[in-house]
Amino acid sequence: MLRRILAVTMRDLRSGMRDAMIPYILIAPLLVAVLFKLFVPGVGSTVINVAMPETAEPAFAEYVERYGEVELLEDRDAIVKRVQAMDDLFGIVPKADGGYELIAAGDELTGTVEMVQSVLSSWQNPDLEPPVELKISDMGWELSPLARFGTNFLVVFMSVFGGMIVMLNLVEEKQYNTMAAINVSAIRRWEYVLGKALPGLILPILHAFAVLVIMGFTEVDYLQVAVVAFAIALISMIIGFVVGVYQSEPIGAVASMKILFLPIMASVFGAIFLPEKWQPVLYWSPFYWAYRSVDDIVLQQAAWSDIWLHNLIIIAITALVFALMHKRIKQGMRA
Amino acid sequence: MIDVRNLSYSYSHNKSYAIRDISFEVGEGEVFALLGPSGAGKSTTQGILTGLLPIQTGEGEVAGFDLRHMSRDLFNSIGVSFEQSNVYGKLTALENLAFYRKLFDVETEDPMELLKMVGLDHVANKRAGDYSKGMKHRLTFARSMINKPKLWFLDEPTTGLDPTIAGQIKDIVLKRKQEGTTILLTTHNMFLADQLSDKVGFIVDGELKLIDTPRNLKLKYGQRLVQVDYYQDGELVSETLSLAEAGEKHRLSEIVAAGNIETMHSREATLEEIFIKVTGRELVYNEAD
Repeated sequence: MLRRILAVTMRDLRSGMRDAMIPYILIAPLLVAVLFKLFVPGVGSTVINVAMPETAEPAFAEYVERYGEVELLEDRDAIVKRVQAMDDLFGIVPKADGGYELIAAGDELTGTVEMVQSVLSSWQNPDLEPPVELKISDMGWELSPLARFGTNFLVVFMSVFGGMIVMLNLVEEKQYNTMAAINVSAIRRWEYVLGKALPGLILPILHAFAVLVIMGFTEVDYLQVAVVAFAIALISMIIGFVVGVYQSEPIGAVASMKILFLPIMASVFGAIFLPEKWQPVLYWSPFYWAYRSVDDIVLQQAAWSDIWLHNLIIIAITALVFALMHKRIKQGMRA
Repeated sequence: MIDVRNLSYSYSHNKSYAIRDISFEVGEGEVFALLGPSGAGKSTTQGILTGLLPIQTGEGEVAGFDLRHMSRDLFNSIGVSFEQSNVYGKLTALENLAFYRKLFDVETEDPMELLKMVGLDHVANKRAGDYSKGMKHRLTFARSMINKPKLWFLDEPTTGLDPTIAGQIKDIVLKRKQEGTTILLTTHNMFLADQLSDKVGFIVDGELKLIDTPRNLKLKYGQRLVQVDYYQDGELVSETLSLAEAGEKHRLSEIVAAGNIETMHSREATLEEIFIKVTGRELVYNEAD
């Protein structure tokens, strides 16, 4: 039984890796995540980086370290060379008169020179009262909205790629008319379906893990991520089967699969932008519930009870879709 | 091995039948050929017997399995070679067979041995998508043997092959027949049917018109003829004479006595001639069949 299931899975993987489409599907989401990461402002970019000589007064170095990263280098030449490197880093060299020389490359982020100047000024004038009154308020955002919503969107959206892999492998069967040969072998229908489905179920989980790591969410509960990604992969896989068994041409099949993009976009952007009272209009979408789960996971606020409840809703909707589609899938797999 | 009674099938689920009221039996070790023109219902019959089409009316058993309650275990003991080749183009021939053998629960053939048998061993590691039509057909044929089937369904096994390869395929089928494999052959090729079959069935417009052995059909419907070419007044003359007619028998004696014979052959009726005589239809080959 397991031998036959794995035979189907391994055949699909082997065959899939022999043209550009499936490797592209495997890699493209990760490239998108890397691009997202480049656009997301990180905590690191707001920290000032400073290089100063090893001979600098230790108390001064400790003071600057309260505001940023400090590198201690051999001498002024080494500091100048370091400042000229690609990253944003300022050089501070104590002068004989008690002042400081601030060395900048000139391409630093706007405002950061003033930040360093302000730090130096406050070190030199500890008793000076700032000419402004500061109040700090917390909006409750613990991370960048782009990182949060972008990551959630990618995790939910990537479930489609699992369905696409299932679909492309079925299209190949239709293309070469090999379904008839499968139907006269001893493999059971459910073994064949499971063998076909495995990559579509596992891939979204791996993609979700990879996206979270790339986006820097290393502290989240990965078991919760796996459970949600698995549930959402089910619906994409069913759509993959429905499209795959009726298409014999890959480009047409991919175009048909785009049908899933609309509910995913609507669910994710609806969940982000719709006010609370309008959220129920999205309750029909399994992607909405997946999005809510992933959001809680990313914020590290997810309770297992909520995860299971959302998954139960996703699986119930999936079961309904399957009930409506299973005849069509069965007919398409005949030959 | 096969026992079907009153099989009818309509693709449109109405009274437009692709096959109608078909009944026949194939004993263990027998080779039965379903002979008929394009669209006669040969492939529909094979489709029902191999489970590719659901049984609608009638009943039957294949390899001990009821057609109405087919088990996947049936497929461990049958092999199916399709008329249209259907192999994975992105896999090599060897990979195609190596994958397919894993789908069975019974002892299977060595893929390389099968490829040698059909003359594809030298291109075993080439992708099937790069094969010619004939090579793909041979690979499809080889695949049908992978589970050492006791019952073998062959749909036009030599169609589109050059005569040498077709001869090799025919030899493989004969060898399997000698080893006791039961074979259901569907073909429009009367020479192949004549050479391989113990029994033939003539199918036309979805109806099985007649079943018998090729020998009995020839005896029953054919005439024992002699074709003789001889010289008369310096010119070559050809005559076909019936050994059943007294006058023609006498005429043959005269020609022989004159002693000017160049060639003389006994000639039997072909299955095609008998087919035309019985059904009033010709066995015209159509690529779409």
